[in-house]
Parts: sequence; C-alpha cells; structure tokens
Amino acid sequence: MKYRSRILILVAALLLFGSVARAQVIVIVNPGVSADSVSKAALEKIFTGTSTRLGSGERVVPVLLKEGPVHSAFLSTYLGKSPIALIINWRSLVLSGQGSMPKSFDSEAEMVSYVARTPTAIGYIGEKTAHDSVKVLEVK
Amino acid sequence: MKRLWIAAALFSAMALSGSAQSLSDLNIELHGYATQGFLYTTENNIFSTNSSSGSPAWDEAVLNMTATPTPKLRVGMQARYFLLGNYGNKISLDWAAADYSFNDHVGVRFGKVKTPIGLLNEIQDLDPTYIWSLLPQSVYPLTSRNSTLTHYGGVVYGSFSLGQKKGDLDYRVFGGEQMVTADDPSITEGEEDSGIILPNGWGGTMLGATLKWKTPLQGLMFGATDVDFPAVWSSLAVYQGSNGTQSTPPSQSQWYFARYEKNKIMVAGEYSRQQYQGATQFPDAPDGDSTFRSDPRGWYAMASYKFTPKFALGAYVSQFVDWQLDYGPPRYSKDWTFSARYDFNQFLYAKAEQHFIEGTNIGYDDATNPNGLQPNTKLTILKIGVSF
Repeated sequence: MKYRSRILILVAALLLFGSVARAQVIVIVNPGVSADSVSKAALEKIFTGTSTRLGSGERVVPVLLKEGPVHSAFLSTYLGKSPIALIINWRSLVLSGQGSMPKSFDSEAEMVSYVARTPTAIGYIGEKTAHDSVKVLEVK
Repeated sequence: MKRLWIAAALFSAMALSGSAQSLSDLNIELHGYATQGFLYTTENNIFSTNSSSGSPAWDEAVLNMTATPTPKLRVGMQARYFLLGNYGNKISLDWAAADYSFNDHVGVRFGKVKTPIGLLNEIQDLDPTYIWSLLPQSVYPLTSRNSTLTHYGGVVYGSFSLGQKKGDLDYRVFGGEQMVTADDPSITEGEEDSGIILPNGWGGTMLGATLKWKTPLQGLMFGATDVDFPAVWSSLAVYQGSNGTQSTPPSQSQWYFARYEKNKIMVAGEYSRQQYQGATQFPDAPDGDSTFRSDPRGWYAMASYKFTPKFALGAYVSQFVDWQLDYGPPRYSKDWTFSARYDFNQFLYAKAEQHFIEGTNIGYDDATNPNGLQPNTKLTILKIGVSF
C-alpha cells in the first residue's frame, strides 16, 4: 500500500511538473515579426528544420539554448524530443547537405539579446527571464 | 561534366553571397563524425573483412564545412575517409553543393548532391543519425551504396500543405549523372564474378522524383520514389586484356516506404525493385560476350523504442531476392537483426547489433571466402562513434 501511494505521488508530481514546465517556457521572436501566435505543429516544423515559415508566411530562423531545464522543457513540450534527439535530427540535415545547424546560446539572456537584434530569429526562454526587447508568441 | 556541376555550384554561391563582408558574415560551420566498427561472423567472412576471426577493419570519418552567406543560400562540402575490409581506405568527396531556398515550397540544390531516394538514402552513410550499425542490406547494401548515394546534378525540393485535415506533401525532383569509380565495391564485386573489368567505372544519366505524404496523423508518413535511367549506359570493359563495352538499356527502379515516428516509438517499412539488363561485347574476345538480367527486390520492416533519452533498442527483418537467379542461397538474403544504441552525451555513442543471416546474395566476396560460402551466418557488430 505504501509502495502504491508512492507511485501515485510520483505520477502526480510528474504531471504537475509537466504542466508547470509548459507554463514556464515562452516562445520569443524579434519585435518586427507581425504574427502574434504560432501553432504547435508549425513550431515543431521550424525547430526540426522542415519549415522556415510562421502561419503568417513570415520567414523565421530558429535558435536554441545549448542545455538546461528550459531547453529540455521546450523540446519535450513542443517537439517531443530529447536534447540528444534534436541534435541528431539537425546533424542528419547538416551532414546530408540539407541544412545548417541553428545558432545556440549558453544563456537565456544571450538568446534574448540575439533575437532582439535579428529580424528573423525565433527562440524560447523561461517566462521569468527579462524579455522586454522581444515579442512573445502565443502557442496555439 | 562532374567538375562542371561542382564548379557551377561554387561559382553561384560566390556570386549570390556578394554582400558578405567577412568570413564571419559567411556563418561557416564545421561538423563531422568518426566511427570504429568491429565485426564478427560465425561462418562466412563478410564485406571483404576477416570477420570470422573478428575484424576491426571498418572505419569512417567525415568532415563537413557549411557556410550560409545569406539566409536563403547555403554552400557546403563534405569529405569522407572510408575503410571496410579491402574496400576504400581513401578520402573522397561525399558531396559539394550550393543550395538556394526561395521559400518552403521551392528550393534548388546542385553540384554533387545526395540523391533523395527512398526513406533513408540521403542519410544511409551517416552512422550517427540512426540506431542501426548496419541498415537493412535488402534495400541499402553497404558495399554498393556509392552507386545510389549521390549524383552530379541537381535537386528541386519543397513542401506544400494539403489543408489542415489532409497533411503536407513533400517533393523532390532530381536529375543528373550517377557515377561510381572503378575501385568501388559495387564494381569490383561484379568483376570477381565475371572476370570483366570496368576501368572507367560505371554510370550515366538518371532522373527521378520522390513524394512524401505527411498525413494528418502526426508522425505518420507514406512515400514513393521512381527513378528512370532514360539513356543507354555504356562503359569501356576489359576482358582478358581485350577491350570491349558493357552497356545497359533504359530501365526504371521504384521504392515504396512508410514510417510512423512519435516520441519514443519508430516503426518503418520499405520495398524496392531495381530491374536492369545489359550486355558485354568483346570483338577480339568473344568468350567475354555475355548478357545479364537482374530483378532484385528487397524489403524490410523495422521498429525501435527509446527507453530513455540515451538508450534505445530496435529490431528489423530484411529480405532480398534476385528473381533472375536460380534457386538456392545465392539468390536471396534474409536477415533478422536486433540493435542497441547508447548515447553517452551529444558527442559520443556506442552501438551493438546481432544479425541472423540466411542466404549469400549480399555482402560476400570470393577473395575472403576461397573455400566457398555457408548458407547461413551470424554477424555481431560493435561500433563506437563521435559526432560534432
């Protein structure tokens, strides 16, 4: 009974963590982008290299964090991939001549700075990270 | 002609990147990988190695340089070192191409480019990108992969949405010249069988198209490839010191494939058929005159599961039959395979794989099997790789 209770608590914690993780990650773009939202499907295509367009038709170029809980949360929530799986995905494109590796950043602050000055950049950060210089896209 | 395609790609890239002011503006990246494989077989020696005694003669290293001087333009090239038994042991140009993407619907790539055939052709030589140590040999035979991996010419590619409830359609239209050099295993294995040497290698014009329907069910995709060889392929042939020709008339090949991939699960299958026929003629050595027909048909079904982000297991069944050959082990190859992959981190990984092979059509050569072939063999592969 004790064991079963622990399992239930663990499952509840994981579910709670998943929902908390999703709420904590936001998608950011350069303020020059006119779109206000992006679909989950479009986001998945952009960050796996199969599309370069938002639903509005605007061209975007993805940038990544190198590691960290925000990086992992974004990948699992919107791409269904682990960090290693995402790197393998992009390397398959690069090594077969079908793409180039996205820029990646050590910190969310660096990502915000890059997205703010790069017209086509799209990235992601934790919602508590300062982001006055960029625009937040709603993920539908 | 080959160098013309590569030169055109590089010249176009230089012209279109005229606004770049410095090397940093070109966004140059370096990537690559290296692998070391070990093979052991219980019976026959495979892939020209002494695998029945255990062989480490399977090395690959790739270095890739890519530049994106403008957001829509990408230029790159990739060199490879390859050693497999008695094959390779040299550095060659994998591909060198310029790629311009007008938008998601239309892009063009030309130079020496990867040929977008089937489900896995474009990545079949990229070991870090999949779980398997050896792809299903029924459709992706290792020793003849150079005959389909790349071509000198171009690819037009793009994607269209069919509507929210109908998914997306990806297309690739490609054409140019496909060539393999005289020392390629796909050529030398044939020389062993027939005694006929092709000193200039083998190749000719090809045209093809691949369509992939990404269905509304996320992760499910169906696809097909058709390749036409519209002209006669002809090459210098040598038999017992006498010159002649080998030629093949126009022919076609097809691939049909499907894959479902979501989160931890991947299931895929593919079927290919590559019919061809040809003849050799030696005016001064009529003994060398021959005709040949081949109707190889191969298929596989595979599945894998990622137990953790770093550990995955997989299995596949693979079958190949050349319907023009007489009944017996040389006519076919069947393979049950069980695989494991562990990623230590994003750079270092290891693979282990066990094959249960029936039939002797694929992977064996006479030089390393002088006493003939046993109908069945078990093959164990261990591999370690680094990629960056």
